[in-house]
Amino acid sequence: MVEVKNEEKERIASEDMGVQIENQDGIELRSFGTVKRWATKRSLWMVHYCTGCGGIELAPLMTSRYDMERFGMHPMVTPRQSDLLLITGYVNIKTLKRIIRTYEQMPDPKYVVAFGSCPINGGPYWDSHVTINHLDKYLPVDVYIAGCMPRPQSIVKAFDMLMDMIQSGKADGYLRYKKYYDRYKANQEKLFRKWW
Amino acid sequence: MSEDEFAKKMAEFPDSEVKVLRKGQIAMKVPAEKGHDAARFLKDMGFTHLVAIEYVDWIKDGEFELVYNLFSYEHKMRVFLKVRIPRDKPEYITFMDLWPIAMTHEREAHEMMGIVFKGNPNLTPFILEDWKSIPPMRKDFDARKFVKETYESIPFVEDEP
Repeated sequence: MVEVKNEEKERIASEDMGVQIENQDGIELRSFGTVKRWATKRSLWMVHYCTGCGGIELAPLMTSRYDMERFGMHPMVTPRQSDLLLITGYVNIKTLKRIIRTYEQMPDPKYVVAFGSCPINGGPYWDSHVTINHLDKYLPVDVYIAGCMPRPQSIVKAFDMLMDMIQSGKADGYLRYKKYYDRYKANQEKLFRKWW
Repeated sequence: MSEDEFAKKMAEFPDSEVKVLRKGQIAMKVPAEKGHDAARFLKDMGFTHLVAIEYVDWIKDGEFELVYNLFSYEHKMRVFLKVRIPRDKPEYITFMDLWPIAMTHEREAHEMMGIVFKGNPNLTPFILEDWKSIPPMRKDFDARKFVKETYESIPFVEDEP
């Protein structure tokens, strides 16, 4: 039986990537995280939801020119069957509410990619009265793409990066959301007067 | 008909100030209480399309100006019907009985400038669902200060305190 350290046990349990098998020696914990992560990274489905101006960059990405489907990615109409949420531009308070609803409906593991300078720090809308400036105050973001707007090449590069991060276990946005849930909720509630 | 002929006809409306701005554009100013009658007068003249309702904040005069942008497909002519309402009591009557689309434009003016249109049943905001400050398109709204207080004061989540 392989000795499993406590932290390792916690990590595997928190990532939902282990199985517990009972035999006469006690409880054995077997991890097949590597295989699962490999499978996850090659079958990312993204929510077909666009905010701001970045949605226009997705058209060449999905179609034959840059052909997203060679990575096993394709758009999905419902958040409950998706792994990937793209924030494709500026976010205002009303949109943020919808984004959070969408994000919370997605099953784990889930990843967020933020496009362009607007979700990073507000971009050209830094002093607008309605766009929130930093997206990561309200939602955990795994990969940022700089640029206004980023070209499809940089988006493909970001997906490549995200896949590497998933394989190495660094794409842990959904775990951070659980860990700091109270703080994220507190920040969100500062903006919203009522939920619906 | 030319612009000057139209202007002459519009000047027949009592208390109106008519000015030809350029080819195809005429401005007409009327007192606030005669705005609805003037709109009906213009609609009967052939200006059947309400393109937009613009709103201007004349903060030094203490007034809001509503600019009804009307267009005539028949004459290919545009009229700006201007009325002024006091800034401290921003209320006006709805034009929904003449143009039903006025509901949408009035909703926007209510959201961005805080003008109340009496008789309009639907003045819910489009974007600013959770607005907590004065309407954002008013001249005395300080966007920079608002952003500092609202968005920049929120702490980053994952910086350990």
